[in-house]
Amino acid sequence: MLKKKNRKIMVGLVLLAAGMLAACSQGSSSEISAPPEAGGHAGGGSRGTGDRESVVVVMDPASEPAAGFDPAYGWGAGEHVHEPLIQSTLTVTTADLEIDYDLATDMNVSEDGMTWTVDIRNDVRFTDGEPLTAEDVAFTYNTLRDTSSVNDFTMLKEAVAVDGDTVEFHMNRPYSIWPYTMAVVGIVPEHAYGPDYGDHPIGSGRYMLKQWDRGQQVIFEANPDYYGEEPVIRQVTVLFMEEDGAFAAVMAGQADLAYTAVSYADQQADGYELLAFDTVDNRGFNLPAVPAGETDENGVPLGNDFTCDVNVRRAINMGIDRERMIQNVLGGYGTAAYSVCDKMPWYNEESEISWDPEEAARLLDESGWITGSDGIREKNGTKAGFTLMYAAGDSVRQALSEETANQLRELGINVKVEGVGWDVAYDRAQSDSVMWGWGAHTPMELYNIYHTASGGSYARYSPYSNETVDSLMDQALACSDLEESYELWKKAQWNGETGVTQQGDIPWIWLVNIDHLYWSRTDLQVAEQKIHPHGHGWSIVNNVDQWSWE
Amino acid sequence: MKITNRRRKMVLWMVLTVLLLIGVTVAGWLVGEKAAVTDFSRKNLAPCLAYPFGTDFMGRDMFLRTLAGISSSIRLGLITAAVSAVIAFFMGMASAVLGRTADALISGLIDLIMGIPHILLLILISYACGKGFWGVTVGISLTHWTSLARLIRGEVLQLKESNYIKIASRLGHGKLKAAAVHMTPHLLPQLITGLVLMFPHAILHEASITFLGFGLPPEEPAVGIILSESMKYLVMGKWWLALFPGLFLAAAVLLFHFLGQGIALLLDPENAHR
Repeated sequence: MLKKKNRKIMVGLVLLAAGMLAACSQGSSSEISAPPEAGGHAGGGSRGTGDRESVVVVMDPASEPAAGFDPAYGWGAGEHVHEPLIQSTLTVTTADLEIDYDLATDMNVSEDGMTWTVDIRNDVRFTDGEPLTAEDVAFTYNTLRDTSSVNDFTMLKEAVAVDGDTVEFHMNRPYSIWPYTMAVVGIVPEHAYGPDYGDHPIGSGRYMLKQWDRGQQVIFEANPDYYGEEPVIRQVTVLFMEEDGAFAAVMAGQADLAYTAVSYADQQADGYELLAFDTVDNRGFNLPAVPAGETDENGVPLGNDFTCDVNVRRAINMGIDRERMIQNVLGGYGTAAYSVCDKMPWYNEESEISWDPEEAARLLDESGWITGSDGIREKNGTKAGFTLMYAAGDSVRQALSEETANQLRELGINVKVEGVGWDVAYDRAQSDSVMWGWGAHTPMELYNIYHTASGGSYARYSPYSNETVDSLMDQALACSDLEESYELWKKAQWNGETGVTQQGDIPWIWLVNIDHLYWSRTDLQVAEQKIHPHGHGWSIVNNVDQWSWE
Repeated sequence: MKITNRRRKMVLWMVLTVLLLIGVTVAGWLVGEKAAVTDFSRKNLAPCLAYPFGTDFMGRDMFLRTLAGISSSIRLGLITAAVSAVIAFFMGMASAVLGRTADALISGLIDLIMGIPHILLLILISYACGKGFWGVTVGISLTHWTSLARLIRGEVLQLKESNYIKIASRLGHGKLKAAAVHMTPHLLPQLITGLVLMFPHAILHEASITFLGFGLPPEEPAVGIILSESMKYLVMGKWWLALFPGLFLAAAVLLFHFLGQGIALLLDPENAHR
């Protein structure tokens, strides 16, 4: 019902926008006039009175943090990682996803990996004037460990403030990629943290929350006492709109930067250009690697008799022409994906393969899947095929699924495409395939996908298990040196003998990384972006403080 | 002579309508699989000779999809209208014949169902039944029998007072026998008219809950799906995605409405002389 209402609003908006375009005679778009007032969405087509210090960004409504700007409930951390803007973090990830410092000045880990010691700056104040101390850091981590609804903090035993500017993290188990967790945890003030913190956040970051109208917009204002480089952009307004509304806002000249989808990429908007950013926002599907028959402790059936054959999985991986898929579905706005972590420091390039339908067909023949009269392969009377599910309503995943089905049909594999809700997808993924989206700035993603779940006999999202892969990832986590751990993560993908790549067990097929597209005013300089993670949301404003107007 | 001419003309029109609707239904059914074929080499085409309704973002032929969608709507409408008519008939009859308690119970139930907004109840039932074809069918069937049941109940109450029913009961016919043998033939015109008039309702409801995402799954060709998908593309000027399927839906609904009214005119004794 809500959906319908939203759509009505959208249609209204579109009509409004169309009307405005007609009425405003549209002038030359280079003229700069007043920026849209906070909250006021009406107004002319072009931009404001030479206000070179503010920017209006349109994001998807799902990006609005439901529980407010509280790191414990997903702000910055969680499924869609980004820099928390309002709060500072101990570390930050660099453009090539290595670790650098924000609040931290030095960081050491003990030989056994069980204690992390972090020195922090002592010249930092929260926006209410109180100094930020090691106590606040320890408080933040201990609070998140107990309350975080989105992040796994089970590896942390306790955070202790040793003195004013040193904090120690005592771990339950070695966790070499702790700096990546530190990069997404915004530090909150112990003296001003409570249940309503999400609505009235106080931090020490580049921006302060000025105004938040739920369901509409958030306005940030630069923090005048910021300890780092002064933000160029003094005010950031974030509007939340559906795709069509976002495009209408662009057409009406109401936004400086608005997210958009591939289906809009062939449109034209005067005074705007289309920006495409590289991502690790991948799409791929799981192939259950064990035969059907078992069930898990909740009675969910596990396994699939077709995809349990490693030759079948290899043939599928090899039989998909990713470039054609990118052209067909993404209009060229994407890159081929061969793993869940392409382009990350822990990515193993052995994952890469080239499209080879002949070899794929040979593998299927070798496994006894022989082409039948209808063009579909069979073995002992069983048809070669599986069900590929996608989240109903996600048109890109739907199109990727259909394209996968079309391509695999050429190989003689019958793929049934089905739109489902997430309420059933997780369970059904244990015996069939789901079109997933992943991609985060931490190697933990490899662990979550391929490592045998604790207490279970298979990995969590799709039945698969390999002792060598498990042990290499365990070693990577236990490693005391981050650089060394990257090598171990790479080996977990392929160590020369086994792994999760084409020559290995290939329990997941990775298809594409989807470029994140934005309409941007031609005179807005968006600073260089890190490779965006999954989630077409806040990542774009990670460095909004460094944007500028020409 | 003039009168029979008009009557005949109307019957002719109605036969044509029925044939048209049957044609669309069968054609859509036969097209079935083809409507779901995706071909990315022909995506987002405006209407042309090869694709009179254009194609969508995955290169599906919108003409075939619309045809298949209308066809599935009509088939769904047929099942649901039939089921609700049967429910309505028995409920109405039982309410009027089986005495006070039954009457109170059934009238209460009717009020209860009518008291809840249709679409809300539909969504709840459809969701509880796991959505999809059967969710929608059960949902519409269970929510649409009420007004017809009321009508039947009223008719039966009236009939009970008529002489020939009283005579039958004096002659020793039981209540049920009287209902089955003497009342049913009298009620058939209302029932058939009600059934046909339920069609457009059922079709529109199917389309609307599918539009809202609680009905048929998105890979199925259904008018509700087509329309909800097209919303996104309207702002890009892809008008054909919504226009033709929308017109088709409206046309199908109007045809059924016309058919229902025609039947009412023909079968209703009050109008028989016109």
